[in-house]
Amino acid sequence: MSFANVFRSIASRPRSATKGPLDVDEAPVASPIPSQASRFSSSQQASPRTSLSRGLSPASRSSAPSIAPVTSKDFSFLLRPEIYHQLSPLSIPPPFRHPSRQPAPETPIPDLLNHGHFRSAAIAAVQALTSSPVSALSAAAHPPVSPTDHVRIFELLYTRLVCLCLIDATSLAAQESKALEDLNSAFYLDPLTGAHLVPWELRVLGVRLQAIGFGDPRRAVMSYYELAREARVEIAKAGKAHDHSTSELWKHRLAELGVKVAGALVEMDDLAGAAEHLATLGDGNQPFKVGGDGRLAMSRALLWLHLGDVEAARLCVSDGKGGEMGERIVDALADMADGEYKTALEKWQELKSTMEENGVHDEMIGVNLAVCQLYTGNMTEARDSLEGLVDEGSASHTLLFNLTTMYELCTDRHKNLKLRLAERVASKQPTPLGWEKTNADFKL
Amino acid sequence: MSHQRYPSIDPKEPHSVSLKVLRPSLVVQHPLPTPVSLPTASAHNYQEPPIPASLAYHTNGDTNPDPFLLAPILQLPPSFGSAYVGETFSCTLCANHDVPLPGELPPAAAGVSASGNLAPTSPANPPTKRKFTRDVRIEAEMKTPGSSAALKLPLLGANGVVVEHPDSNNNNDNGAAKGHNHAKGGMDLEPGDTLQRIVNFDLKEEGNHVLAVTVSYYEATETSGRTRTFRKLYQFICKGSLIVRTKVGALLPPPPLPSESDDLLEEKKKGGERKGKGRDRRRWVMEAQLENCSEDVMQLSRVGLDLEPGLRYQDCNWEVVGSGGGRPVLHPGEVEQCCFVVEEDLGPNKAKLEVDEDGRIVFGVLGIGWRSEMGNKGFLSTGKLGTRIVK
Repeated sequence: MSFANVFRSIASRPRSATKGPLDVDEAPVASPIPSQASRFSSSQQASPRTSLSRGLSPASRSSAPSIAPVTSKDFSFLLRPEIYHQLSPLSIPPPFRHPSRQPAPETPIPDLLNHGHFRSAAIAAVQALTSSPVSALSAAAHPPVSPTDHVRIFELLYTRLVCLCLIDATSLAAQESKALEDLNSAFYLDPLTGAHLVPWELRVLGVRLQAIGFGDPRRAVMSYYELAREARVEIAKAGKAHDHSTSELWKHRLAELGVKVAGALVEMDDLAGAAEHLATLGDGNQPFKVGGDGRLAMSRALLWLHLGDVEAARLCVSDGKGGEMGERIVDALADMADGEYKTALEKWQELKSTMEENGVHDEMIGVNLAVCQLYTGNMTEARDSLEGLVDEGSASHTLLFNLTTMYELCTDRHKNLKLRLAERVASKQPTPLGWEKTNADFKL
Repeated sequence: MSHQRYPSIDPKEPHSVSLKVLRPSLVVQHPLPTPVSLPTASAHNYQEPPIPASLAYHTNGDTNPDPFLLAPILQLPPSFGSAYVGETFSCTLCANHDVPLPGELPPAAAGVSASGNLAPTSPANPPTKRKFTRDVRIEAEMKTPGSSAALKLPLLGANGVVVEHPDSNNNNDNGAAKGHNHAKGGMDLEPGDTLQRIVNFDLKEEGNHVLAVTVSYYEATETSGRTRTFRKLYQFICKGSLIVRTKVGALLPPPPLPSESDDLLEEKKKGGERKGKGRDRRRWVMEAQLENCSEDVMQLSRVGLDLEPGLRYQDCNWEVVGSGGGRPVLHPGEVEQCCFVVEEDLGPNKAKLEVDEDGRIVFGVLGIGWRSEMGNKGFLSTGKLGTRIVK
C-alpha cells in the first residue's frame, strides 16, 4: 500500500465524537462515575475530616438532633468573629458617608441589597453570623444565627461574600472564603440524603474566591471541573427520573461552569488556553444555552480582541453567529483595536441611534463612543457624552473611571470635579444597580 | 511615566499639560447570582439574571455576554504602562485654560470666574481684570537615545487632522488659510477650555526617551498682552520586546535515490539548459528564535523575510502547517522557533546573487509583526542577515 492510500484511509475515517466533562452526555446511560452523593456519604462515614471538625465538640454534636431536625451538623466554625474583616467607611467618598444617606441599622438585608447598600449588607450579614449586633435595633433586624441552622448561615455567608465582591473588596472576600475550607468535603453533605448542604451559588463563588485566597489560580479550573462532574451526575439522575425542569437547571449550571472555566483561564493569563477552551464549548447542537443566541460567539470574539487577534474576533461573530448587534459591536471594537478610531466612532454613533429607536439604553455603547471621541481628539465632546450618561442614571465603575480620567486630562483641579461627581452620584435614588461607590471609582 | 520634570521657563505660575497613553482595555466582570435572601431568587428559576451591580455596565438590551468574564465596555488605561521597541507610543496632550470652579471662589469673587487663566487667580490679581488666552499652541519633540537632536513630532488635532507638522513649522503663512485659527494652528481658549493634541511615535530604540512638550500662548488683558511659554519634559524608558536569534546553515541536496539517478542522467544528456533548476541551486536553512522579553502576552501576526534580489524563500511555519495551530501566542519569556528555506532564484530574468568581497551573501532582513492586548500593533525587523560562503 502506498503512502497516499494510507493517508486517504485515515482521512476518510469519521472523526470520533469528543465529549469532555463539560458536555452533556445525551444518552441516559448511567455515568461510569458512581453517584456523587453516595460516594460522598460513604466516605464521610469512613473518614470525617479532622480539620473541619475542630469547631465541633462532642457535646454539641450529640445534643444537636433535638434542636435541628434537618441536620445535626454544627457550623459554629463559620461564626467566629476573627474570620471577618472590618470594613472601613474611609474607602468611600464623603458624599456617600453622609448619615442622612446611609441606611438605618435596622434595615433588613434584602432591603439593603435592593437599594444597592452592599457595604451595609455585608456588615449586617456578619453581625448576624457572629452575633455581634451594634444595637438592640439591629439585633432585631439581623437576629443571631444558630450554629446548626445551615440554611441561614450559608445564606448570610453568601450575601457577605457577594457584597464584598460588589464593593471592590474581593481580596477580603477571598480571605474570608478560606474559612469554608474544603467545600467538597463530605462534612458538607446531608448525612441522610447525601445532598450538599451549601447552596450551589456559594459553592461556585467559593471556587474563585478560594483560588484567590489560597493563591493558587489553577485550583479554580480544577474545582469547576469537580462541580461539572457533579452537575453531569445530576443531569443523568434527573433524566432517569423524567424530571425535566431539574434536568434543565443542571444543564444550565453545567453550561455556566464551562464559561467560568474560560474566565478562570483568562484570569490565569492563559489566553490561548481560554480561546481553545471556549472553542470547544458547543452552542449549536446542545440542548441548552447560556443566555441568548450568540453570547458564546461574543465571548469568543472578546477573548480574541483581548489577545489582539482582530481577524479571529471578527470571524467569531460573522455570518450571523453573534447576532446582528453582536456583530456590529465586535466590528466597532475591532476597528478600535486596529486604531481606526474615526470609523469606529461612526459605528458607535449608528449603533446608539439604532438602539435608541428600539428603546434600548446601553451604557456600554455610550462609554465606548466617548472613548472614540477622546481618541479622535474630541475630548470636550467625550466628556459631555460621559456626563450625559451620568445624568441618565448610569454609574458603572468604568463610566466613572473614564470620566474622572478625563477630568485629570482637562484640568489641574480635578479633585474638586471628582468630588462634585461623587456628590452627583450620591444624590441619585438608590437602586439594586448599586448606590454606594468607592474612592477608586472616582480615582480619589 | 517614570519621571516628570518641570523646568518651566516661567516657574512662578503653574501651567497645565496632561499626558496619558492611549489604548483602552476590555473590562472584566464577575457576574454573580442574586443572594438567596432576595425575595426574587428561587432555586429552580435558572434564568434568573445576575445581580445587576455585578455586571460591568447597565443595559436593558442584550449586549452583555454574561456569564463570561470579559465585557465589551472599554476602560481608559489606569497608568502609563510600559513602552516597547516596535510599538507605537501614543499619548494625548492637553493644554488647559484652568479656572476655579464656581464654588471654589470666595463669595465676593464668585461672579467673575472668567478672570482665571492658565494660572490660578492669585489674590494680588484684582478679580475685575479680564484676561484672555489667545493663540495657544502645543509642540512636541522626542529625544531618543541614539540621536543627538530632538525630533519634532507631528501632532493630531480634532478628528485626527494633522495640525502641527514638523515641515510646515517655518512658514508663517501656512496656517493663515485656516480662517478663524491663528497662524501655525494656534487656538483661543475660553476659561475651562482644553486644547487637545495627539502624539504618535514609533519606538525603535531601547533606552531613555524624553518627550518635550512646549506650550505657548498669548496672554492678553484689555490693554496689554504678552507671550508666554512653558515646557514640560516627560522621561520614559523604552524596553525591548523581542529578542531575535538567527542561525543559517547550508541545506545540502539529499543524495539522489537510485531510481532517480538514472532519470537525472537522462536529463543531463538532454541538454544543459535545465541545469540550474535542480541540484545546482544553492539553498540554506534559516532558523530564528523569537523570545518575548516584554511583560505582555503577544501574538505573532507575521514573520517573513524581505530578501535581496536573486533570492527567494519558503516559509516552513504555522501558516503552511495549516489551520491546526493558529498564530503562535507568546507569553512573557516564551520562545517561538521559526524556520525558512532560502534559495537562489535562478530564473532567466532574475538578478544575479551578489557575494561581497568577504565571501558573504546577504539575504535580507527578517520582519516580525505582532499584536498584543486589544490589538496593539508591534513590528520590528532585524539587521541584514546572511551567511559566509564556504569554498
